[in-house]
Amino acid sequence: MSPLRLRSWTGRTGDGEDELAETPAKHDDAAGAGGSLALSVRNLRTVYELGHATVQAVRDVSFDLRHTERLGVVGESGSGKSALALSILGLLEPPGRVAAGEVVLNGRNIMGLSERRLSSIRGREIALILQDPMSALDPVKTIGAQLQQAIAVHNPQLRRSALRRRAVELLGEVDISHAERRLDDYPHQYSGGMRQRVAIAMALANNPKVLIADEPTTALDVTTQAQVLSLLDRLVDEHRAAVILITHNLGIVSEFCDSVSVMYAGRLVESSSCEHIFMRPTHPYSEALLRCVPNPERLVEGPLPAIPGFPPDLSALPAGCTFASRCSVGRELAICHERVPSRQVVQGPVGDASVECHFARERAAGAPR
Amino acid sequence: MSGVVSRRLLGSLGAIFGASIIAFVIMRVLPGNPARLILGPLAPRSTVHALNAQLGLYKPIYVQYWRYISHFFQGQWGYSYSEGAQVRTLIGERVPATIELALFAFLITMLASVGLALLVTYRRRPIADRIVRGIAYLGFGTPPFFVSLILLIVFFSILKILPGPEGRLGAQVLPPPAVTHLYTVDALLAGEPGKFLEALEHLVLPGLALGMANFAFLVRLLRANLLEVSREPFITVARGKGLRRWTAFRRHALPNAFLPTLTAGGLVLGEFLAGSVLVEKVFNWPGVGSLVYEAILKQDFSVVQTFVLLSAVMFVLVNLAVDLLYAVIDPRVRVKSVTTA
Repeated sequence: MSPLRLRSWTGRTGDGEDELAETPAKHDDAAGAGGSLALSVRNLRTVYELGHATVQAVRDVSFDLRHTERLGVVGESGSGKSALALSILGLLEPPGRVAAGEVVLNGRNIMGLSERRLSSIRGREIALILQDPMSALDPVKTIGAQLQQAIAVHNPQLRRSALRRRAVELLGEVDISHAERRLDDYPHQYSGGMRQRVAIAMALANNPKVLIADEPTTALDVTTQAQVLSLLDRLVDEHRAAVILITHNLGIVSEFCDSVSVMYAGRLVESSSCEHIFMRPTHPYSEALLRCVPNPERLVEGPLPAIPGFPPDLSALPAGCTFASRCSVGRELAICHERVPSRQVVQGPVGDASVECHFARERAAGAPR
Repeated sequence: MSGVVSRRLLGSLGAIFGASIIAFVIMRVLPGNPARLILGPLAPRSTVHALNAQLGLYKPIYVQYWRYISHFFQGQWGYSYSEGAQVRTLIGERVPATIELALFAFLITMLASVGLALLVTYRRRPIADRIVRGIAYLGFGTPPFFVSLILLIVFFSILKILPGPEGRLGAQVLPPPAVTHLYTVDALLAGEPGKFLEALEHLVLPGLALGMANFAFLVRLLRANLLEVSREPFITVARGKGLRRWTAFRRHALPNAFLPTLTAGGLVLGEFLAGSVLVEKVFNWPGVGSLVYEAILKQDFSVVQTFVLLSAVMFVLVNLAVDLLYAVIDPRVRVKSVTTA
């Protein structure tokens, strides 16, 4: 498996083509295993019914995740990324609910299964890592108790001593020293980075084949981020798990992911390989997102650019393209404000992308940006 | 651990000291000469003077205070002239009734508030939530003696399903053989289920009346805590591990939400034990509260003074117990105490 490359994607936006040619696919086997999918989401629609309004958090989203593939889901806050993650796991709490769609995990549709059935799948076949390590662990239970619970819930036959041994192993696996002793500590005795490593250990405790990581490094400081990310990289390789990495940090996507989907106002507006999106962002929103990533070399050029305007109100979506009012291409164009763009598969310089933009074809064929 | 204990103990002693000062000052500020009250209006002035001297009322104020406080802790609570008995004997006779009522009220208050708070937060039914919140507001804003009267009118006068204000047992019923002096427990110990039910029936209405306001307080607190905790990411994480929703709720939301409720529960129990003068009066409950009610009317200050300090001590002890329990349950408190000790 390829080691984690701690490089910045921003360095290669200008003259990316040669460099990209040398970059191997991060998961060589991911591209090949076309037949069997780890996860397939079809027409998923999630709404929050707030009485006075219905917020459409996820609107008709479909995507596939191959075995050991790493998919980055990128978008602004409030674009529906977390709602997507919770919907897949069936963990939405009222007033949120999945209104329609299928989630096919290892070949079977898990949408609409009973809580009993779902709970036997969660943690064993598909696991979750959340953003904030401070609140992801129960403050009044020991680290050991919480780790052992993750193991025990799917292995009721294991005895206490075996559970404890396995928990120590898991802590060691995520590089926590003196694991035996630290098992009886409480979360507040761990640092943020350590807690996130515990969260990773808990998620991987039962060797799930699909891992959903919702902003796993966002709450950490930069050096800890890099450590946690490289740990996740190593463990995901070892466990041969497929990952959906939800983030707003495109730098992390470039380091970690094979493919990327850009989420805007509840829809995946552009899905492609990582190489494609960094070289030829086809949807104007993808392009704008890329431009907003801080680049030390460009700091002299003045303040960071921002995307003008705000994401649309998900309970009162505009007609036409939801991005139109903020779009550098379609802001003035009638077609963008009137007609919803359909999904088109376009050919870029490095593979296909499926894009929801009226001008996808022209933009994919145009000059590199 | 020892750090927490000593700090809490110091705080408790401070609270008791404050209460004793208040009780002492009230006694000295209220109009009326104790000796004159004891001896009556016809006693000669010289006798009053002699009794005042005997009561130590001409000594310096700090000597009087010391006498009062040391006598209190020695159990010398003085003589009740209106009842013609030692205050200690009087209170000792009345305490079991108050304790039984307090424990019963505490039990139903806790059960009802935990149950209803769970129901509305786990099930997330907006209508049930609105009903519970409505009851809570009503209970919070209605004084206990008024609740008592309403309960009596509804369940005794109109529905005739529960006994009226006749104390702990019906008029013709003898108390069960005394072991704990709590009639329900004693009846069970003596194997008299009929008497147990009789005692229980008599507890229901005063228990409800006493518990209502605190039920409102607790259910609102617990509901808010549970809602907050159930939105915590660690609940989602627990379910993500494969715990069912209810299991995650029970193992992670409940213990966390219960911590603040424990403190509140201590306050409530302390309040119940300190006695409810008005509820006991309405139901003719032969507890400490109704004793104090009579004593106030008769200006029998040695009873009132003892009651004030005694209820302060009760209140402080219960809360001390809760604080110590807290330190055992909540690892964050425990570790803090290790580092400060």
